[in-house]
Amino acid sequence: MGLAAQKHVIVIRNHFLVELMSDHFIFLMGKYEAQVPKDRLYAPNHMWFRAEGGAYRVGFTAFAVRLLQDVYFLDWNVEPGDVVVAKQEIGEVESSKAVSTLHAPTDGTLIRFNRELMKDPTAINVDNYGAGWLFDFDPKDALLLSAEDYIRRLEGTWDETQRQIKGQMND
Amino acid sequence: MTTNRITVVLSQTRSKNPAKRRLEEEIATALLLEPGIDFAVTPNVYDLSPGDTGLLYLNSVKGHLILLSWQYPRAAHWLLDRNGINGKQGVTLLKSVGEEDDEESGGADEDEYRGIGPVELLDRYIFCLDLRAYDDAGVYVEEIKRIAKDVSVKLVPLTGLRTDSDQNESKPNLFQRFSEPEKQGAGPIVLGESKVNRWYPVIDYSRCTNCLECIDFCLFGVYGIDHKERILVENQDNCKRGCPACSRVCPENAIIFPEHKTPAIAGAPGEGPGGLKIDLSKLFGAPSAIEMAAMERDIELVKDGRAAVGLAVGIPRRQTGKAATEKDDLDKLMDELDSLEL
Repeated sequence: MGLAAQKHVIVIRNHFLVELMSDHFIFLMGKYEAQVPKDRLYAPNHMWFRAEGGAYRVGFTAFAVRLLQDVYFLDWNVEPGDVVVAKQEIGEVESSKAVSTLHAPTDGTLIRFNRELMKDPTAINVDNYGAGWLFDFDPKDALLLSAEDYIRRLEGTWDETQRQIKGQMND
Repeated sequence: MTTNRITVVLSQTRSKNPAKRRLEEEIATALLLEPGIDFAVTPNVYDLSPGDTGLLYLNSVKGHLILLSWQYPRAAHWLLDRNGINGKQGVTLLKSVGEEDDEESGGADEDEYRGIGPVELLDRYIFCLDLRAYDDAGVYVEEIKRIAKDVSVKLVPLTGLRTDSDQNESKPNLFQRFSEPEKQGAGPIVLGESKVNRWYPVIDYSRCTNCLECIDFCLFGVYGIDHKERILVENQDNCKRGCPACSRVCPENAIIFPEHKTPAIAGAPGEGPGGLKIDLSKLFGAPSAIEMAAMERDIELVKDGRAAVGLAVGIPRRQTGKAATEKDDLDKLMDELDSLEL
């Protein structure tokens, strides 16, 4: 019991926390702690991939949701069964802070969308790693990132991300 | 000049949306009874083929014209221009869709553009009203009456107009049909026929600088050059349905696809669809505009059985981005995000 009960926190650089014995990493966005569960894989466009029945369930990471904040509207412009290429525009999202197009995380086939979100997208905010999943996807030869690789990537791109957002707000 | 009659043409939606159809009918009903206004209905002007009755009619109108359509006014104006129906841009008090109340009207901003301009402009005004902006037919009818009154009292010098004799030859036949609706059954007659939903670019010459990047980029031969060495859409039916790639490549945002769902491509005023909200598209994997354009072009090339060329052909070389803004404190950033109340 000894170790598991204790909370060892190691800080790596500024924004990256590792809790030993925990099931997730934490990425610090200001004071906000974005969780990155270790039980799944990640794409660089801030989507998580969890193996499910030979394909993957895909959703927004906590990092993405924190930037979006309250999601008001989600729309897809491809159909279930469509073959898509990485970066292809597949839909759009509008939230309290942002309006953005959404893009295929990798090459692959879109199997189905989470129909519940079409009626009410709030599950994205309430439970982004569970009921707020976006779609089921069958990636083609994709190189997905481990939780650790993803969080290192966040670490590496955070300054640039801030500049991008900041730049838009100064326009 | 005996008259300052104004002609109103309603360009119908492609959609079967009953709310849109109802708005069209309500406006039509009101305008058919309005004295001093000539009123006609056409299918979506974008879909009309050259030589179509609807376009012939529009071309026959040499006086002031109001076009009601389900498009951005900028798209509608340059669509008419493309079909030889031109005039000065009239200023409407109505907003187009997505325009906020506190924004200045789009008209003034357009002066900042340094395009090559249209050729041989008729000395009359064309007003384009966006039917997507209001649900209430009364709003449009009132604005039309206001414009009609405005142009008739201003006594705009209508030199250059070959109006009356021309008009009298071509119009009465058409209008006889309107003025005797009981012979035709209920509702106005629709002039022209749209056989297909068409897809092609429309050039905004108030913005186009004739840089010719579009002609280099498009590998389907859509663009050409006229005898004055100005860019033109030469073979519009070579254009690939759904592909707006050249519009993304255009450095002046002068290429409009009126039916595209992205406002900046469909002719929204200003530079882009951004508004106040931040755009996270890049974070979610959006390619740059040039990458996107090359990707869209590749998809169409492959469909045609040709080889994808990626970024190898016809890609403009421009200076990339401005210097990055200064680094800032993270907490402050998040606070500012939070304070952006929308």
